Amino acid sequence: MEVLTVTMNPALDREIFLDGFEINKLHRIFDPSKMDMTPGGKGINVSMALANFGVKNVAMGVLAGYMGRVIEEELRKYSELITTNFVHTNGESRENITIMDEVNQTITEINAPGPTLDEETIEQFFQRYEMTLSRVSHVVISGTVPPGVPMDFYKTLSNVASKKGKIVLMEARGQLLTNAILSEGCPKIVKPDLRADRKCLGIELKNIDDYVKVSKIILERGADLVVLSYEIIKNVVATREGIWLLDTSQQVDISHVLGTGDTYVAGILYYLLRRDKDLFEASKFGYIAAVAKLRYSKKIFPSIKEIEIIRDNIKVERIV
Amino acid sequence: MKVKDLMIRDITAVFAEQRVKDVIKICAKQLFTGLPVVDEEMKVIGFISESDIISGAVPSYYSMLQSASFIPDTNQFKRNLNKIKEKPVSEFMTKPRVVKEMDSAIYAADLLIRNGWRVLSVVDEEEKLVGVVTRMRLLWGIINSPNI
Repeated sequence: MEVLTVTMNPALDREIFLDGFEINKLHRIFDPSKMDMTPGGKGINVSMALANFGVKNVAMGVLAGYMGRVIEEELRKYSELITTNFVHTNGESRENITIMDEVNQTITEINAPGPTLDEETIEQFFQRYEMTLSRVSHVVISGTVPPGVPMDFYKTLSNVASKKGKIVLMEARGQLLTNAILSEGCPKIVKPDLRADRKCLGIELKNIDDYVKVSKIILERGADLVVLSYEIIKNVVATREGIWLLDTSQQVDISHVLGTGDTYVAGILYYLLRRDKDLFEASKFGYIAAVAKLRYSKKIFPSIKEIEIIRDNIKVERIV
Repeated sequence: MKVKDLMIRDITAVFAEQRVKDVIKICAKQLFTGLPVVDEEMKVIGFISESDIISGAVPSYYSMLQSASFIPDTNQFKRNLNKIKEKPVSEFMTKPRVVKEMDSAIYAADLLIRNGWRVLSVVDEEEKLVGVVTRMRLLWGIINSPNI
């Protein structure tokens, strides 16, 4: 195992393709291929993408109830390269149901809540996390946390891993991320999750100067690579050598964004583990991996071969 | 067929210092019958099964009896279990029950049958935990084997 991924709030993603969907009507599905069931949550998505790239990894987090067991089983079924090490607790893990109607062009989503974690469960997770750190070189801490998890939790996970010499990559938002960045063990790779709001460290990201400002602050705190999504398809990438804007000449369908950020993260790690330690080159590889993911509407991750085919379709502009 | 083809890639484990009740809780929630015991580097140092916990909670003379009806007070088991639930795993664990990923499935089956075990820990070359293999997993793997 080379990478440990943390998903504190996993979900079972169920996609149902149902043409002519109407409320107040019984719909029978006769074709099983019209129903898709995949484990979800940002860290779990990274684990799946890494497995596609041939990288052995261990997925950790907290699962709950029957739904939790299904998530775990589906994840192990997905690839032999994924090992599981989840704490199980009371309640039920999240279930996200999406009904896609390609005739009426509608998407109906029903998202169930996850469990609330008690102190004992969090402590148990932490014990297992420390135990598992000895087996990996890289740690991915990604996504939101369920109720009950303190806002300094990601900070603690990052600090413990950094002290043990692990490279931490964090994709998160809000106070969870801010606390981790402002701590002694700031993650080496920071990818703020800007999907809900374009804000980081309390700063509104309105124009490119705001992106540069935030990137510089995170670098000063100890990160070596910062990745910020910019205007949907573009990305601002900052290292100690400079700040760049990445764009692509590849034709993309931006409605297929599910899992692109996670593919980006997996792409960076694959490059660092298999190719070279150059962080800027790794971020370029991650970017093009995310672009390759955009080919698929479902949560299907690209192969290294598919990424290599479009590898040169990247436009790089130095900003600073 | 190798152990790696049949193993469950899950590394749920406990430390020797953890409490017996932690084992019961994990096993009940994850439908396990026992857990590998590991050190800080995840090297397997023992195993704790439901049988080990039951043995610890019944009177010492119980193993000589043929029937539970000889136990004078059925609440005795409950009282004993409550006494040991806070005790460390180290007091009840047994020696490691391990196979390697590249060991043959038949070797794993032999170990399980000969010793009356239900689960084996699977370790890598450094004796670190990489998964488990259960009796049912072996049976399932064997009936689904293309060679049969």
